Amino acid sequence: MDIKIQNLSKSYKIFKRNPGLKAAIKSFIKRDYFLFHALKNINLKISEGEILGILGENGAGKTTLIKLIIGLLHPTNGSILVDKYKPWERNHDYLKKVSVVMGQKNQLWWDIPASESFLLNKHIYKIDDKKYKLILDELIELLDVKDKIDIQVRRLSLGERMKMEIIASLLHSPSIVLLDEPTLGLDVISQSKIREFVKFHNEQYNTTFVITSHYTKDIQEMCKRVFVLNKGEKIYDGDFKELINNINPKRKLIYELPKNFDINLIAKISKSFTFELNENIITAELPEDNLQGLLVELLDTTPPASLLFEDLPVEETMRSFFENPNKYIK
Amino acid sequence: MISIAIKYISVLRMNWIQALEYRANALVGVIAIMSGLFIEYQIWSLIFKAKGYETVKNFEFNELIVFIFLSIIIGQLKSSWHSSGEMIRAIRTGEINKYLIRPVSYFWYHFMMFIGFNSLYYIVYTLILIGFVFIFPGMIFNSFSTVLYFLPALFISIYISYCIYFIMICFAFWFGEVRSLVVSYNLAMLILSGQYIPIRFFPENILNIINWTPIRYLVDFPVSIATSLLTKQEIYNGFVLAIFWCLVLSIVGSFIYKLGIRDYEAYGS
Repeated sequence: MDIKIQNLSKSYKIFKRNPGLKAAIKSFIKRDYFLFHALKNINLKISEGEILGILGENGAGKTTLIKLIIGLLHPTNGSILVDKYKPWERNHDYLKKVSVVMGQKNQLWWDIPASESFLLNKHIYKIDDKKYKLILDELIELLDVKDKIDIQVRRLSLGERMKMEIIASLLHSPSIVLLDEPTLGLDVISQSKIREFVKFHNEQYNTTFVITSHYTKDIQEMCKRVFVLNKGEKIYDGDFKELINNINPKRKLIYELPKNFDINLIAKISKSFTFELNENIITAELPEDNLQGLLVELLDTTPPASLLFEDLPVEETMRSFFENPNKYIK
Repeated sequence: MISIAIKYISVLRMNWIQALEYRANALVGVIAIMSGLFIEYQIWSLIFKAKGYETVKNFEFNELIVFIFLSIIIGQLKSSWHSSGEMIRAIRTGEINKYLIRPVSYFWYHFMMFIGFNSLYYIVYTLILIGFVFIFPGMIFNSFSTVLYFLPALFISIYISYCIYFIMICFAFWFGEVRSLVVSYNLAMLILSGQYIPIRFFPENILNIINWTPIRYLVDFPVSIATSLLTKQEIYNGFVLAIFWCLVLSIVGSFIYKLGIRDYEAYGS
């Protein structure tokens, strides 16, 4: 099932008021409404089996886009077509083929064990007994929650609840899964488990995943392609690595010189390349071409005791990107 | 068809399971029911004694007590103090999203929740009703046909009540908070539906109006059937009008819901 989005816009009518009792009374009598454009003229095509990451700062329109795809919202303008379905019509056949996880209080019944919510979903999605058992056992195994499914949901940790939400959303084997901030508030191990799980599920069942996350590491590990929103507008749609290279083409080289290195030779190289020298360790952050040039020079003059290449932190790269996206997007 | 029924019965089952999770709440609920009946008994016995009445509006004391007890019970079964509040909160906070993303009808899903939440009362009240049959012989369910007419009348009462709540709750799509509307309705219905005073005690002009509205079917109609106060013809006529109201309220509810959901902004995440 492909997702085709054309000229999609979504606006909300919102009122605002100043703080204080006087302003509250004034607002009770007359409200100042304005139109907030959450999404503007979005065009996007997501193919079956893709894992697409949606990136953007708070209020960029990521969740609105997810809600439009699942059919919780009607578009103000434009269209979304998933296979032959218009999501906002909420056709039951469509809803059986998609799933969404938005936060950790999504589908599960708070006061009773998750296993009961799974059973309810079994009946809602009309999953036959054999298939249900097979899928449930597999998901429980993969997400490592075997001993947790019979405990009241409200007594589970954030990570455990998120895993249960994911199980509930995948029981009916949807073709498309929308994950809105799936790792928010989770510890590093749970985050990593969920990332591995998404990749596995995508490879195994060709499930399409659309993921929003504030953690760039989520996107980096799970998604090849990203769709970047800024203030409701698309600013990038393409390969994530390419985007990172455009923003920050530098890589880091750590070159450990032998103890008896010749300082004069290094001083000579420093005239052509920028780097730092601390005792016998050279550290350079340079674009790929320059870095290769420096490496060749160093290898010619002084063989290393050890050497290491590092990509610069993606989180930092993306932060500088969002500070001024126009600088990097042509 | 069967799988659809199973789908919604599963929702009912979940509600029972949830109700059983909280034993203290269940116990308090039962005590509240019994104390309500006790207070009504005390009030009416004082009125009869103080005024030296033999009958009130053709009701002897025991007949009136049975009628009022039954009215309280039916009134409770069709009431929704809790689940309507939950539905309004769900719309305001965006929690309704969890129903909208699944292949279920929100109307029927919540109807099951509505019934499910009152389930505990159904069990207790059924036991009380069985007790009434023996304590007040001949005054309630004095033939099998009364039971047969009473059960659909009870279902209609619950359904009409749910539809009215549903329509009111749908206004939350536009106004966000409509609990004051629901509370006002609940308070008005305590009197107007005959839950605490039989509507037969009302002035005739008010009674004539009520008889043509769905309000009559909330309490008075099923109670009058159970206590054999209606002729067969009156029962049949009542069912025709009750079904008419069921249809009208279903259509209005569906229309308002469709309008509301278009404007729904799916707040929260």
